[in-house]
Formats: sequence, structure tokens, C-alpha cells
Amino acid sequence: MITFSNVSLIYPQSVSTVLENLDLEIQEGEFVLVIGPTGSGKSSLLRLINGLVPHHTGGILAGAITVDGISTQNMKPGGFAQLVGIVGQNPLNGFVADKVEEELAFGMEAHNVPPETMRKRIEEVLDLMSLTPLRNRSIDTLSGGEQQRVAIASALVMHPKVLVLDEPTSALDPIAAEEVLSILQRLVHDLGLTVIVAEHKLERVIQFADRVLHIVGDGQTRIGTPREIFADSAIAPPIVHLARALKLPEVGLTVRDMRRMTENLRNTLPEPKANPAAEKLPLIVEAQSLSFSYGENEVLKDFTIHIQEGEIVAIMGRNGAGKSTALRAIVGAAEIKIGSIKVLNQDPSKLQGIDRRRNVGYIPQEPSDLLYGQSVEQECTNADNDNQVTKGNTFALLQTLVPGVSIHAHPRDLSEGQRLALALSIVLSAKPKLLVLDEPTRGLDYSAKSALIKSLSDCTVLLATHDVELVAEVATRTIFIADGEIVADGPTIDVLLSSPAFAPQVAKVMSPGPWLTVSSVIKSLEGSA
Amino acid sequence: MKTLHPLTWWIWTFSLVIALARANSSILAIVLLAIVSFVVWQKADATPWGRSFHWALRMGLLVFLIRLFTGVLISVGAPGKVLFTLPKMPLPNFMVGIRIGGEVTLERISATAHQGLILGVIIALLGAASSLTSPHRILRLIPIMVYEFGIIVVIATTVLPQLVAGIARVRQARLLRGHNVKGLSQWPAMVIPVLEDSLSRSLDLAAAMDSRGYGISRKRSRYRPEKWGAVDALMSLAALICIFIPNPLVIATALLPLALSPNPIEVRN
Repeated sequence: MITFSNVSLIYPQSVSTVLENLDLEIQEGEFVLVIGPTGSGKSSLLRLINGLVPHHTGGILAGAITVDGISTQNMKPGGFAQLVGIVGQNPLNGFVADKVEEELAFGMEAHNVPPETMRKRIEEVLDLMSLTPLRNRSIDTLSGGEQQRVAIASALVMHPKVLVLDEPTSALDPIAAEEVLSILQRLVHDLGLTVIVAEHKLERVIQFADRVLHIVGDGQTRIGTPREIFADSAIAPPIVHLARALKLPEVGLTVRDMRRMTENLRNTLPEPKANPAAEKLPLIVEAQSLSFSYGENEVLKDFTIHIQEGEIVAIMGRNGAGKSTALRAIVGAAEIKIGSIKVLNQDPSKLQGIDRRRNVGYIPQEPSDLLYGQSVEQECTNADNDNQVTKGNTFALLQTLVPGVSIHAHPRDLSEGQRLALALSIVLSAKPKLLVLDEPTRGLDYSAKSALIKSLSDCTVLLATHDVELVAEVATRTIFIADGEIVADGPTIDVLLSSPAFAPQVAKVMSPGPWLTVSSVIKSLEGSA
Repeated sequence: MKTLHPLTWWIWTFSLVIALARANSSILAIVLLAIVSFVVWQKADATPWGRSFHWALRMGLLVFLIRLFTGVLISVGAPGKVLFTLPKMPLPNFMVGIRIGGEVTLERISATAHQGLILGVIIALLGAASSLTSPHRILRLIPIMVYEFGIIVVIATTVLPQLVAGIARVRQARLLRGHNVKGLSQWPAMVIPVLEDSLSRSLDLAAAMDSRGYGISRKRSRYRPEKWGAVDALMSLAALICIFIPNPLVIATALLPLALSPNPIEVRN
């Protein structure tokens, strides 16, 4: 279906090649997973398939790419619309209409498809993607998962043979992600669609993949079945790390495989001792019965949260449950009319200047909102001066988070993970007593994530995230919110184990035992040996 | 959108702009500003582009103030009642007739205020049209022949609302960092991230349009065509007549009831 023969790609003004001599043949009906560190060229590879790279972005391409026998050299991206459906990293940026139905019709209108045919195909795809109840809704009122489904539907309505998705689940909660992925799985099996997906959260997609393309960096690539690739790749989901740590003869890729292989272990492994009840420490955040609404829409209802010094609290919940609003209220950005809120015994909305930086550090969903300097050096020096710390302090902090960032690089040229690390070190250089993070792992690979985890260990943290694996690693306490109300609040291990949808992979493998992470299993193993 | 055919709004706006330019009257300018403000307040909704009128008003005010300032400072000297005298700056001989500073007369102030007002209101009128029509609906009306133009229109019309939303976001992020957000020296810090962000979003949009085959076929079919209803025709006609009778009263009586009439398109949905 898709052939890459001897493909190399380099962008102008860049010193390293994105891809070098890639040879790849993708069969019809294959589900191919593309993995690699952030900024390694996954998106470029995906966009080569319909010629967006280099037609749209520039760059020098050597070798040939053909899709269903048609070379991308001879055809503009638009010509591939009926062959390749492409869904970008952030579907909201790619929508061209206001209503769901109009959005679905856009591509067909452009191809002058007769109205009767359009009508029929739209009905079909609405059914296929379970979008019928949303057909007349305005797109910006949809939730993240619904938007992702509309984006896939508007690609499918052209009846393509290949579907290309760039991080389709990165902004979704675990349940919405599951929904989207199972639809993809169905398309592959029922319609023989060829699907190519790039994704960081491997724990979500690994079980669906027929083959894995690992972009190692510096243009080098490896291709193989998931079992071959994950036998030794540095990028791997927790389940694979567990298999390696237990020295199992082969890696298991699904929870089912792993449960079969670990049956013996589960029965013999002694349960870890319950942590002694934490002593009472001074309260950092006291929020009492907050309510907040946007117009008619009540986003927070009677929201009460107390955070002690040294706690790492994770707020989880579905898209649109009110997580971001809760965080914004606590840092003093949302004007609260009902309820009271105190951070370190002060009203957070009154904090200003260096006082604010020393007390509350906040990283918004788009960390680049905080960056405006022309180079990493400038950002770091500004932070040093702002926070009155010794020169070079911020950059040193950055080096511990992500080694190898050039001090002369422009913040825009950094990868997503590096940019987050830069914003984080700027905020951390003031040594805030409370750190608040909104969705910190979007687009982060595992190594950037573990750098993040390291940096969180010595302050009080409040974070909102969809990433259950991150929560399992760092959070001491987890709060679930649904529809603006707290539905669960307790130690992470209790909260995550009681919810099958939000349980991390290791917990699913070790169920009903109380283990959430690979390291906790290892600890118990060493303890018993 | 609870409004009329998008084209109607643009015909309406351009007619008012032409009427204003032809009449060259401050009273008409103020009446028009009142009419469009009322219509926008009634009709625009909470979409990103719905707020563009708000920003057009600010921009209009800025233009008005700049015109007033330069008009008072630089002039060819209008005779009349002297209000106050500014220190005069000597200019070389070849710039005879132009002066910087000098006496400021009542006539000079009123003339520049008048010009500034008309310019400012024209900007506000155009802002009203863009806040009443969705850029996406405009895109669907643009003939495929001018495909590049279509892409440009979409990018241009989506960048502005994104800029507005982006500035609010960055402003808040900086406030939460304890930074000052007021003052000219803070502008680079506010504007650079916003510009970069909206540029990359617009490129995403262009790539998405391209990969979905926009502009591939010379002919374009319509899924659910926008209907040009009787109210649209009436309103455009009324607006066109206003070009020739630029009387504030005529315009107000002809346009307000029409502009506020219920929307025929809404019934179809």
C-alpha cells in the first residue's frame, strides 16, 4: 500500500537529517505504530505519506514514496485526499467549518461530490463513528474525544485507503482514548484500512500494533514486530519494563499475556507494608466549598480541598470535568464568588511579583506561553534576575532536567519536552512552596517524563493530568472529579486500584495486589528475596 | 450563528462605510456607531470572532486619538479662534506652509476630530461585520477559482481571533508568574509567544485544508447551500439605498428593524 524506498529527509538550516535511507513497505490493512523521542521526526514521517512534507513545509527529500502506486512527487497533498486521510496532532486547529455536518462535507464539497452521494456518505460515517447525536452541534462545544472522532470521521468520509494519525490520544482522558483506539482497531479489521499512528503513550496503543517503526534519532530507524522492537528499545511502556525487570523469557504486550506469565509471582509476592499514617503537617492549600460557573454552566460545585506540605496531589477526571478550573482557582486566576481559598494563609489572587513566584509556581497547559526570549540563555538570565538567585542557577537546573540543551538554542526550536523543562526550571528557580501543573505530560516521551518526575520530588505539588502512569509514579494522593464535584479523594494506591478505567498497566497485571509501578514490584521482590 | 446570510452583513457594512464616506458627516458617524454597536450587542455570540468588534472599537479609538494628536501638532495652519499656542519648531525653507506646533485654533481641533471620528467609525464598522459572520461560512462562499485567496482569507480571519484569545492567555500566564503586564516594555513578552502560536495554528489549518483536497476540483458542490432569503434581499436593498440617501434618520429607520429581524436561516435548521 505504502512504499518508502531509500527515503532521506533534511530540513533547510538544519544540521542533522530527519530520516536517512528509510526502506519500508506497509501492507494493506496493517496497523503501524511510529515511536521515537520528542522531536525525532515522527510528525515529518507521517506527513511524508501524503506529501505535506515537503510540499507544504519545504525540506529536501531524496528517494521515493508511493501510496497505492502514486508517487508523492507528482501529486500535491490535495490529490491524495481520497487515498490518505490525515488527522493532525491538534484536530481543533484543522477544523474548517462551524458545525459537525459541514465539517464532514468540506472535503467532498472540494471534490465536487454530488449532494446525494454526500448525504449518504455523511450518514454512513456518522453511524460508524457514533456521531449522529452530535451532527448539528457546533464543533467548539465538543469535548476533546468528540473532536478527535469528528476529525477521524472527516478523513474517513473521503473513503481513503490509508488513515494517518499524529498522537490521536495525547489530549484525551483514558476512557476517550480507549474509545478512539477501539474504533481504529475496528476499521482495520472490518474495512481493511491501513492505519499509521504516532503516539507517546505506548501503554494505550501497543496492543493494537502489527508493526512498530522506531525512529531512534539522527535519521536512524528500526522496523519490526512489537515483540522484536520492545525486546530492547529504550522507549517502552511500563508493562514491558515490568517484563524486563522480572527477567521473563519474552516481553508481554498485553495485560492478558503478562498476567499469564506472572501468575506464579502474583501468588508468592508478599504485599508491601502499608505506609504509616502521615503526620499532620502545616496546610499549604485550604479551599473551602468553592463553586464556579461560566455563564449558565456550573464548572465547580462545592469543591473542598486541603493540601499538606510535601504532598503531591493529582487531580484526575474526564475531559471537561473541571480540573483546569480547579487549578486556576487555586492559583488565583479564576475569580471565585462562592467559597473561600487560602494558599499559605494568603488570598492567591492578591499575590504579586516576587512574592507570588516564591509562593506559587504555575505552569499552564501551554508552557510556551511563559517563554518569550530569543534564546535559552536569555530566558535563564531573566529568570535568575527576576528571582534574585545566583547567575547560572536556572540553566544548571535545566541541565539536570534535560541534559544537552544548547544555551544558544531558540526556545521555539526546542522539542515539546525540552520546552516544558525550560518553563519548569524558570518556575522552579524561584523555589516556590507550591507548584501547580496543568496537564504536564502532553507530548512528552518517557525520558522527559522521568526528568519531570525527578524534579517534583521536593516540593508540594498539585497537578491535573490524564496520564495514569505519571500519577502512579509520583502522586501521594489522588482526587477524582466528575462534573465539577469530587467523587474520590484518597491515597493514590486506593483511588487508582478501585477504578478499572484509570488503573495503570502494572496494577492491571498485578490485580488484585496493591502494586502500581514497576519499581514497587521490584521493591517487594527484593524484600522477599 | 443567529444572523443572516454572511454576504448580507458584508453588503450592509460596506454600504454604510460608503454612505459615511460620501456624507462625510460626524453626526452620521455617531449614529452609525450607535446602530452597529446595538446590532452587534444583539446578534453577535460568544464565538472567538464575535469579540472582534470589541477590538475594532479599541483600534478605532486609537486611530481617532492619533489623528487628533498629529492634527493638533502638525498642520497647515487654519485661521480662527486661537485656543492655546504650542512652541513652534523651525522647519527648513522648502517645507513652506507646513508647521509643527504653533497656534491651535478651535477650527483646527474640530476639523481633525471630525476626520479622526470618521476613520475610527469606518474601522468599527468593518469590525462589526467580522464579528457578525463566521470566517468559516465566508470560506464556503468563496468561489474555488480564487482558491489561494480563500486560503488567505481563512488564515487572515482566523489569526485575529486567535491573537485576541492568545493575548488574554499569555497575559494571565504572566500575571500568575508575578510579572508586570502593563507598560510598553512588557509588550515583546506578551506578543512574541502569541504571534508564534497563532502563526503555527494557521499553518496547521492551511495544511489541513490542503490535505483534504481544498482547491483540487475546479467545480465545487454544496452540501447544504446557504440560502439567500427575502430578508437578506430586503436588507441589502435598504443598505444600498442608504448609500444614496446618507441621512441619519433614514438609515436608522431602514436598517435597525431589518437588522434585528429574526433569522430565516435559523428556521431551516
